[in-house]
Amino acid sequence: MKIPRLTTLISVAGLVVLALFPVIGIPLRWLNYLFLFFIYLALANMWNLLAGYTGLICLCPHAFVGLAGYTLAIGSWLGVPFQAGLIAGAAVAALFALLISYPVFRMKGIYFAIGTLVLPEVFKVWFSYWRPVGNIYQGMGAGYSVTGVGGVTLGDVYWLGLVIAAVSIFLVHMILRARLGLGLTAIRDNENSAASAGVNVFRLKLYSFVIAAFVMGIAGAIYYIYSPRINPTGGFDIRWLLMALMGTVIGGEGIEEGPIIGAAIVTFLTFLLASYGAWSLLIQGVILIVVVTVMPQGIAGLLRQVGVYRFPAKLLQAAEGKIYKNLK
Amino acid sequence: METAVLSVDRLNKRFGGIVAVKDMSFEVQAGEVLGLMGPNGAGKTTLLNLIAGTYSPNSGRVNFRGRDITGLPAHKICHLGIARTYQIPQPFTSLLVRDNLRVAATYGSKKGDKLELDEILDLVDLSKQKGMMAGDLATVSLKRLELARALASNPTLILLDEIAAGSSDRELPRILGIIEEIRKMGKTVVLVEHVMKVMVEAVDRIIVIDKGEKIAEGTPGEVMKDEKVLAAYFG
Repeated sequence: MKIPRLTTLISVAGLVVLALFPVIGIPLRWLNYLFLFFIYLALANMWNLLAGYTGLICLCPHAFVGLAGYTLAIGSWLGVPFQAGLIAGAAVAALFALLISYPVFRMKGIYFAIGTLVLPEVFKVWFSYWRPVGNIYQGMGAGYSVTGVGGVTLGDVYWLGLVIAAVSIFLVHMILRARLGLGLTAIRDNENSAASAGVNVFRLKLYSFVIAAFVMGIAGAIYYIYSPRINPTGGFDIRWLLMALMGTVIGGEGIEEGPIIGAAIVTFLTFLLASYGAWSLLIQGVILIVVVTVMPQGIAGLLRQVGVYRFPAKLLQAAEGKIYKNLK
Repeated sequence: METAVLSVDRLNKRFGGIVAVKDMSFEVQAGEVLGLMGPNGAGKTTLLNLIAGTYSPNSGRVNFRGRDITGLPAHKICHLGIARTYQIPQPFTSLLVRDNLRVAATYGSKKGDKLELDEILDLVDLSKQKGMMAGDLATVSLKRLELARALASNPTLILLDEIAAGSSDRELPRILGIIEEIRKMGKTVVLVEHVMKVMVEAVDRIIVIDKGEKIAEGTPGEVMKDEKVLAAYFG
């Protein structure tokens, strides 16, 4: 059996510790913060995959989140248990990504961004009028509650969130080391050269897009299990895009650990500034502008440049050497 | 008898009202080095783009090894065995030099058909830089990286767009040597070049293009004396 690397062991240990939080009496407030961090992290990792590694500035994460959430909600009224609704929601988001890829990938650069931005707005209107189950909604919202999740505790959704966050990290990690990652980076750097070198640009962009849509869909559906009410303005709220975008850009676009740092900061700021209402978004926007101007490589990029990792990396290497020498 | 590796048949390409390539027909024999010559704006790069699949022609056909490749996308044409360089180098700036080649080797060549990447880097004198990020390379090295990347997919036909442009007198013999090595590998070369020394010494046949049309075809000796060619260049 191959002995795993120390960094892998540390990561797994960290995951196990996080998984134990709900059962060792960590206060519910913290479980809430961490849960949202997990959801934002999954979204940011996928946004990083699209924008940071493929060069696709996707402005429609909230379309994926909302679609998945609505699939979950409507499904719950049709007798679909939330576990299946979760997967169905992600599948609907992925299918949507597949369908719009043909028209949307024909648009380059900024036009792709604008094209994707329009889509959630269309859904907002659509879901205001389309109510396949239940009565006409009286009053504001035109929303649905999610039924059948009464037995789900905060601990349960916390674990779901932890899983999707871990999956998103693992997925990006694996893609980067696989053939797909090489092709995506080539596409990001120079699409024409990539095509001339034999890369099927459309197909690789499609893989990236559909994978991201699926994972964002799962994250969104998990959120709506945690907070089981969805309406058009909430489900397709541009906030989902902003959390993903800011998490990635502040943390470091095109850097693996970027979204982890960025999502942590964005979650922290959201809660810190929660009592300031609309100002919260303004302040986060200002921070985003400052980061982009002063350190466009993001915090993770800055840390790498400054060489913060060199000392811990050397420590780890030395430790690995000693431990594995003794095991032989 | 069909020995032509590439045949171009009455290609036409318009951009709006401008005719870039007009009724272009020619053949390239297996293993030869064909030069494309002509004043600026003659349509040489457009012609390369038409062969390589970056553009689709308005009419006409491109045949490669007996197969009609007209209008196929660039990546498919690469899989079939045609590689090209860009006049202005287009590297993958955030990838290492060696990984630039790996993209072409991984995505562009058939399984089990690869050339040794380190040997290619050696051929173009980029061995020392293989661990560098392509974005950090000096401009002169980028042209050689273009060439290396084109070779990395192990093509049958390689299209070179002004590979010698901007080379110093010292570098030129090296480039001629590289073209000779490529020929020895059994590959066919079509090159666009303004540098006369390359045209005279490295090339078997030349086609001269002016205003999108072929105005002369023959050996370097024949072509240099052709009246129409002189008129096109010197008025």
